[in-house]
Amino acid sequence: MARALRVEHLGLVPYGEALELQEKRVEAVRAGSAPDTLFLLEHPPVITLGRSARRENLRLPVAELARRGFAVHEVARGGDVTLHAPGQLVGYLVCDLAARGVPDVHRWLRGIEASLLAALGVLGLPAAPRAGWTGVFVDDPAADAAGLAPRKIASIGVGLRGWTSWHGFALNVTLDPHAFDVIVPCGLHAVRMTSLERELATRPEAAPADLDARARAAAAAAFEAWLA
Amino acid sequence: MGIGVQLPALGESVVEGTIARWLVKEGDRVERDQPLVEVTTDKVDAEIPAPVAGVVEKILAAEGTTVPVGAELARIAEDGLQASAAPAAAAAKAVAGAQPVAAAAPAQRATPVAKKMAEEARVDLRRVEGTGVGGRVTKADVKPEAQRGALPAAAAEAPAARPAARRSAPGREAAPAKPAFLSYQLQPGDKLIPMTPLRRLVAEHMVLSKRVSPHVGTVAEIDMQGVVRVRDQHKRSFQEDHGFSLTFLPFIVHAAVRALREYPRLNASVLEDAIVEKKDIHLGIAVETEKGLVVPVVRHADRLSLSGLAEVIEDLSGRARSKKLSADELKGGTFTISNPGRHGNLYGFAIINQPQVGILRMGEIVKRPVVREIEGEDAIVIRPIMHLALSYDHRAVDGAPANGFLHRVRELLETAEFDL
Repeated sequence: MARALRVEHLGLVPYGEALELQEKRVEAVRAGSAPDTLFLLEHPPVITLGRSARRENLRLPVAELARRGFAVHEVARGGDVTLHAPGQLVGYLVCDLAARGVPDVHRWLRGIEASLLAALGVLGLPAAPRAGWTGVFVDDPAADAAGLAPRKIASIGVGLRGWTSWHGFALNVTLDPHAFDVIVPCGLHAVRMTSLERELATRPEAAPADLDARARAAAAAAFEAWLA
Repeated sequence: MGIGVQLPALGESVVEGTIARWLVKEGDRVERDQPLVEVTTDKVDAEIPAPVAGVVEKILAAEGTTVPVGAELARIAEDGLQASAAPAAAAAKAVAGAQPVAAAAPAQRATPVAKKMAEEARVDLRRVEGTGVGGRVTKADVKPEAQRGALPAAAAEAPAARPAARRSAPGREAAPAKPAFLSYQLQPGDKLIPMTPLRRLVAEHMVLSKRVSPHVGTVAEIDMQGVVRVRDQHKRSFQEDHGFSLTFLPFIVHAAVRALREYPRLNASVLEDAIVEKKDIHLGIAVETEKGLVVPVVRHADRLSLSGLAEVIEDLSGRARSKKLSADELKGGTFTISNPGRHGNLYGFAIINQPQVGILRMGEIVKRPVVREIEGEDAIVIRPIMHLALSYDHRAVDGAPANGFLHRVRELLETAEFDL
């Protein structure tokens, strides 16, 4: 069944506000009064804990995190701890999976991964999924052969209400990966976070000045190709 | 009889889910499509909506339990409808994830005797093929299933039903020579958490250790300034090179194994009428995981450099959390270090991991005012202080070697001559 996908660019939105916006859209999509939607946005600094999050994956007490400008939210999505801040492209997909004929969360996750890989390909960064881990990693066989930690560029965490999805992905574009030092991202000790800017910096010819805007456009195009 | 709410098949490879949180309670009125319960699978949090409007009659899966796809989570008494009419009405609306199954449905195609037997043995009649008249399930069809013990317990039982079942059938649970447990009458709202095999193992080990081994505790106050300095100096480059951050634990391990070399009595076991001082040092690292406490072992810890220790500890504790340790990696420890978490933990005494004779437990590292002599004058300075507590087995170890060992660990940490 062909379904429309509306892409909405929201700019910088506080986490709590974006959560409310998603909830409203989830209800509207479930009621059939709004089309499937991809929200593209950024958040002011915030740390979110998914349902399977463990507190020890915060490397600092909440009070200290607050002092450093991070709000902390517990949210109804899968996954462990993650962090959002400006320079990271956040995508929330509110879609009716059953109406799309994909009532399968794993196929849904794989679809999000594949779209991100496509977008990164357009931006000039080879990336790949990793067996056993959700998320998108830089494809670097030489680093793997040398036994270096995999570099993660995008995280994925999805929630479902009935068969309507929410939450989605977070792609580090110009965000300094050291921002993640305050947490154990996704609870994975053996993984390093990276960003598009950092990865492309080793190839100066590929580093565009307006990376944030280009990443936004590439993501929108990739998800439209998949879902619209 | 209400409408059953089951855990839907969320995806081809999803076989089970964990009840994260109930959003309603028994007796609540719910609208159709209202989220009832949050279920987590490995990466997805799914809210299961009500298939029909009505009253939540019974919640059948407690928070924290893991249930297979298809397990009944709750039962809803539907508004204004006869139970017999309900399945069809609800099934028509099955799109929204929660596939309603009428609890009454199997009765229509099973004999009363078969139904009773299935109920008693907690056999899911929908999975039994009927060979009776018109495909009805008979007693003979249920019997083999009943003997096999059909449904996984977590899925089939309401938590509150457990103690009752136990009381009513004391003969069935043959558990001789177990220590007596306090009986407790479950109150409304109490949460009953069945012990996992790992939890039971940990519990039994703790009791055993306290029984066989007279524990003595001693604590050292350690100035961690040198260690903090070394760590800060290498923090960035270590993260770059190794892909994870350098914690304090490898420093403590490094100091402890060197001190163990000098105090072999702490690296020992007690036999019936002898004590063995062991040649090899295999250090256990207590790791708390979601599923419980595990102690993976760093083999030949005295042969590893600081960064080597850090690598092995990172690898073992990472795999302990993802449950990918082999049995061998949990065996053969000769001494243990426990690092139970950072905040609000001044010090405490761990229980010795048998058959070892000592365990170190790290306290939190906190800046404290301490007195130091600076240029011949006593001065109050601020230093990062950690309390390190040693529990030792007095059958094998006396106070002098125990204190000597602990003092040596302290000295090594305060001198902080570490090569990465």
